Amino acid sequence: MTPSLAKIHVVVLVSTLLLAACGPTKPPPDVLGEATRKLAEARAGEAATYAPLEVRFAEERLDAASSAMAERDYDVAARLAAESTVNSELAIVKSRLGKAREDVDTLRQDNARLLEGLPESARPAGGAP
Amino acid sequence: MTMSRILSLAFACLAVASVTSAHARDVDHERLSRSLSQLEADPKLGGFALGEVTRARAALQALEENSKRKLRDHLLYVAERRVDIAWAAAQVADVQRQTGDLRREHDRLQLAVARHEADVARRELERQRMHDQIRAEETERLAEAARLASEQEATAALEEADQARRLAAAQAEEAALARREAQLAGATADALRARLNPPQATRGDRGMQMSLDANAFATGGATLKTEARESIAAVVAFVDRDPSARIVVEGHTDSTGSTSANQALSQRRADAVRATLEGAGVDAARITTIGVGSERPVASNETAEGRSRNRRVDIILEQKQ
Repeated sequence: MTPSLAKIHVVVLVSTLLLAACGPTKPPPDVLGEATRKLAEARAGEAATYAPLEVRFAEERLDAASSAMAERDYDVAARLAAESTVNSELAIVKSRLGKAREDVDTLRQDNARLLEGLPESARPAGGAP
Repeated sequence: MTMSRILSLAFACLAVASVTSAHARDVDHERLSRSLSQLEADPKLGGFALGEVTRARAALQALEENSKRKLRDHLLYVAERRVDIAWAAAQVADVQRQTGDLRREHDRLQLAVARHEADVARRELERQRMHDQIRAEETERLAEAARLASEQEATAALEEADQARRLAAAQAEEAALARREAQLAGATADALRARLNPPQATRGDRGMQMSLDANAFATGGATLKTEARESIAAVVAFVDRDPSARIVVEGHTDSTGSTSANQALSQRRADAVRATLEGAGVDAARITTIGVGSERPVASNETAEGRSRNRRVDIILEQKQ
């Protein structure tokens, strides 16, 4: 390789790198997908009833993430989507907790009703926890 | 100089602000880390939601390692939610544990209720069975009593019929006996009549005479039997042959008994004959009665036949002188 040819190669490489650096940033794949799915899961789990505040936060942040995506501010969009996701996850867990507590209350009432219907001699050893 | 002071003051302020900000961030990190530690040490929730706790720890680690303020706010937000999720997930696990306990208790109670209901049903069945058994026994007892009563009635009826048969047989036997007795009585009467055949008139030392034997009188008495009617009629006809002749009626006995008794008996028999003759229309003035007793036997008193012949009443028509 001649010195002039080597220079040409260097110029082409540098130009290519410069063009790549100055071009528009591509959005990361599926930035909002996880947040959207988690929010849908929270809604399906009746989170609007058991954790309405967390659902609202998740919705607000997902909307903001969408807006950021529209403005091609992908970093901000990714952070807002992550915050939406974590709010949806919290809403899901709180919904589970609320339902589990309702189940406990229902079971306690059922057990008390069953126990009340039993004479002392027929009651099982131990008792309701 | 003044410019140098101003720059120094600004630099100091920036340093203080930096320190304060770092301190605030440390406080948040410490708060969240302490919360996680409390969760892990909680006697009730400590063993639960280990995955969520790990994720919260990772979030805290990321917060601790990042120095960019803007990114730190985001990481702090996420870490706070992760810690909340860890707590909530641990509570969910605890409540689910309670749910499991309550479900097991529910199952035990349902089993106890089922056993109790089965026990009640069994007792009810037993009570019903006993009731039915008592009713069956009562029915059987009544049937047995009815059967016994029926048997007793049948037995009584049989006995009654048997008694009736025996009574009928006894009555028939009694009737047969009565018939035989009547036959015997008739035979006896016939025999008596045969013995009391109308006496024949014979000539004696004191004239014609007839004799009534002792069979014409009741035994030991002086009453003439009805069977002696024909003999009496013969005697009446005999004495009416000669209405002017005097009639001597003499009573005789055998030698059995005392003399005085025999004399009295012979006299009463002679009187009885006289009364009968008078009743038949014979003039009482013609009749004389004598009780001779056993003084003039016509046969030996040693034999029964002789004694029978000696027991008599003679009716004598005295010859006119």
